[in-house]
Amino acid sequence: MADSSSRPPADLRRRFLIGLAVALLAGVGIGLALLTRARTTELNFRRQREAVVTLRALTDLVERAGGGTAAPAPAPAPAEQDSTTAGGGGMGMGLGQELAAVESGAAAQTAADPGAAVRTAVERFAAAHPGTKSVRVVTFEGLLLEASTAAADTGAKAAPRKLERDEKPLYDLGQKLRAAVSENRENTAQGQAAVGEELALQRLSDGSLLLAGPVEHRTSDGSDVVGMIQIHTAAPPVTSALATPWGPALLAWLVPVILFFLLSLALGQRRALLAAVASILLLAALAGFGRYALRALEEGRRETGKALAAYMTDEAAKTSSLLAELPAAGLPNATPLDASRWDADLFRHPRGLVTAAGTVDEKGLDAEIHGDAVRLHRSIILLALLSLVLLAFVGFGGAARVGHDLVEYRQAYSYTMPAMIAMLLLVFFPFFYGVALSFTNDNIYNSSKPITEIWVGLSNFKDILSDLSIFHRSATGAIDYHNFYWTLGFTIVWTISNIAIGVTLGLILALVLNIKGLAFRAWYRVLLILPWAMPNYITSLIFKGMFHQQFGVINQIRQMVGLAPIAWFDGPFTSFLAVLTTNGWLSFPFMMVVSLGALQSIPADLYEAARVDGATRWQQFRSITLPSLKPALVPAVILSVIWTFNQFNVIYLVSAGEPSGATEILITQSYKLAFEQYRYGYAAAYSMIIFLILLVYGTWQNRVTKATEGV
Amino acid sequence: MMGTRAMRARTNGEGGGARHWPLHIFLIFMLVVTIYPILWVVTIAFSGGQSLAIADVPANAGFFDRLRAIVPWPAHISLSNFHSLFADQPFARWLLNSAIVAGATTVLGVFLACTAAYAFSRFRFPGRRAGLMSFLVSQMFPGTLMLIPLYIIVVQWLGLGSTFAGIILPYATTAIPFCVWMMKGYFDTIPKELEESALIDGASQATIFLRIILPLAKPAVAVTALFSFMTGWNEFIVAATFINKEEMYTAPVGLRFFVGGFSQQWGYFAAGSIIAAIPVVILFLFLQKYLVSGLTAGAVKG
Repeated sequence: MADSSSRPPADLRRRFLIGLAVALLAGVGIGLALLTRARTTELNFRRQREAVVTLRALTDLVERAGGGTAAPAPAPAPAEQDSTTAGGGGMGMGLGQELAAVESGAAAQTAADPGAAVRTAVERFAAAHPGTKSVRVVTFEGLLLEASTAAADTGAKAAPRKLERDEKPLYDLGQKLRAAVSENRENTAQGQAAVGEELALQRLSDGSLLLAGPVEHRTSDGSDVVGMIQIHTAAPPVTSALATPWGPALLAWLVPVILFFLLSLALGQRRALLAAVASILLLAALAGFGRYALRALEEGRRETGKALAAYMTDEAAKTSSLLAELPAAGLPNATPLDASRWDADLFRHPRGLVTAAGTVDEKGLDAEIHGDAVRLHRSIILLALLSLVLLAFVGFGGAARVGHDLVEYRQAYSYTMPAMIAMLLLVFFPFFYGVALSFTNDNIYNSSKPITEIWVGLSNFKDILSDLSIFHRSATGAIDYHNFYWTLGFTIVWTISNIAIGVTLGLILALVLNIKGLAFRAWYRVLLILPWAMPNYITSLIFKGMFHQQFGVINQIRQMVGLAPIAWFDGPFTSFLAVLTTNGWLSFPFMMVVSLGALQSIPADLYEAARVDGATRWQQFRSITLPSLKPALVPAVILSVIWTFNQFNVIYLVSAGEPSGATEILITQSYKLAFEQYRYGYAAAYSMIIFLILLVYGTWQNRVTKATEGV
Repeated sequence: MMGTRAMRARTNGEGGGARHWPLHIFLIFMLVVTIYPILWVVTIAFSGGQSLAIADVPANAGFFDRLRAIVPWPAHISLSNFHSLFADQPFARWLLNSAIVAGATTVLGVFLACTAAYAFSRFRFPGRRAGLMSFLVSQMFPGTLMLIPLYIIVVQWLGLGSTFAGIILPYATTAIPFCVWMMKGYFDTIPKELEESALIDGASQATIFLRIILPLAKPAVAVTALFSFMTGWNEFIVAATFINKEEMYTAPVGLRFFVGGFSQQWGYFAAGSIIAAIPVVILFLFLQKYLVSGLTAGAVKG
């Protein structure tokens, strides 16, 4: 670095020109990639919505044709039939109407082939939809493939037939949807959000969609999922893929670069001026490209809205005419088709972007476009920051210096490179990614979305830290064990008590083992180290077994001396004792070894001199032994604090947080948030707080160590 | 030393060891506490059954029935747990997986650590201090903080869930900082004159590293390698999170599988634990003095 001053003065104009070009390339390039991805997503999304509309239209049709209720048994009991075909709108129907519906339904059912209506409906539907490759209807009762237009299901395998063994996934999928529907219904009744997706969507490699949804059977007291429909859409034509807008991107890159070149001729070698002009051009170009991108996105949205509205109108017409043509006329047709409900998300909530009249709901669309704009602004600001940093890096000579250093010290860098790359990719990048995650609400449902879309700012931290109500809001007892401050308090108590046990036991044992002339010293020492040598996951599982309520030896010992056995993991305090015992057992040898090492390094002359001066044993211990132990014990305690604070295995494997999270420490709690509740963003924020606590502790202990070294 | 002995002789009188009996009682008590869980595992392993009780306790058990149930000696001695661990359970596969993972972690980790530590010890270059400090700071990242992004990157993005690479890479990289600091400390003690004279003789930098420095640093390389191996062999949580195929389990995850959830195969667990623990316990007892000095020298791992 010393030689940088001796280098000839760099050509500032050229540097800033290159800087601008590189920064724009990065900014516009990433912007272009993001835009293309957003538009492709939009297009795919449109196809998905169309497929959902098709599926839902077909579902309405099949439900009205009695789909899923075609029992294979020859004579279903009449009582069952009553409930099978009563139609959806039992509430609104007059008694006579309802009776008529029941009678006609029963008539349809007792016909020789109960599924005929469904099959006809499906066949005609498929014929009217060239965009749908195949349709399969599954009835759960009797594991029946009720109707199918798939190429494989012809000849001997033609519907109706029983599902075959290798078609079990199809049945399982149906059951999954059924479970999701009933779970969501329960949750909604309790005022909670729906969690399970009621439609299953799978995008195949050729771009076609495999979409499955439940067939419901409505009775006067609710409805039941009785079957499933799966449709396979045709692969979209290759030509329909969106073209990447190279033109505008190239324009946004070239124009500022050329402008800057011309301007720089006039500006000369003035660094500040060059930097300012380059930044302005950079920002202007990015802003321009951003406007273009916004317009492109808006256009896409409006087009989707229009296309979808048209598609739905078309679909409604087709389905109504098919419904009218159904052979078993007089099927319960109480609820009119409501096409506006067909455009739904995977929870079957209508998106409400297309009205019942078949027109686009402009307000909803505008709201969507506004959402796009907000996200786009965020991305553009991030991109601008990134590009400015790049520009400054190249423009102010950072890049040149780094390049020079890389050549000059290439030997050193080539040795450190492998480790550095590995660390960057698998330690530092994940760390910063984790920090970014902590500002999102990333969870299992939205993991694939870009980070800017799930950004929630500081709300995770606020949720964790501002919840001070430790003593209420718990279903199980007075204390809310999932409260952050309870867990923090427990972690601190856990750490302190472990360190206290470890240091006390370790120190006493070390003092005893340090006595010269004690028989079998070496043997004691080796055997007492064993707990440390054991892998701690094994230790933890052993103790979990020994604390078993019925068969564990600890309760056997209690019973031997006449005490009642304890369910160790049912109470917070006994559970704490169990984990404390486990960790105490495996952690005291470390302190013992460290203290023993320090004790053995105390010169014997010191004691002799003290004795000559008439010091008692206690005085010797206070003024010789303890001060000599300090330099070894302080780092060991610091280390143990961090180990115990992060002692994942013992808590996770012995108590597993029982009872109901009371003995969870911070680190296991954050693990469970991430890998049992799949709230990645929230768990990342939780981990960040743990990291900050450790950081504060680290800086504090650094000062303390320095202070002890000074003594 | 002579002085000490003379002093002891004076204070203890001629009785010597005999006066230590209260200490021996204390130590033996501690030994019982220490050894008991280990004996318990051995007992269960050789019991031939899957129960975690050492002996059946009758309904109206007396003192001696209870005593029998805690004495770590199996009712029948049988090797059947060990036998069926390999014959009926995929434990051999799990051990092999662990060996592959720990072995590859060692090779990769030691290679990365040696080269980097050599550069940090011998060259002065821009970013050297920053690099060393960043290694130290990275040791403060708590495991689960890294686990979430690592899981998303390794499993969701790279699709390396349930593969060897998916756990070897995180193991090797998270071990780098500790290994680098340890190796650097050792390289610093090798005199520079050796290399200077080799340079004068016309040796290249690579030759010096491979032919002179590495052979001299053999003890440090060996210790680093053994630590890396033990880390890979004992690691539980990353493996448990990243691997969900039974045939890809490592030994720790497999052992947990025996007794986790509703599974209660304590006999298999005990037998497997003994097999999995013996090599690391021996290694540990052998390495323990390096570990203490290395740890307290400043490397902090959470």
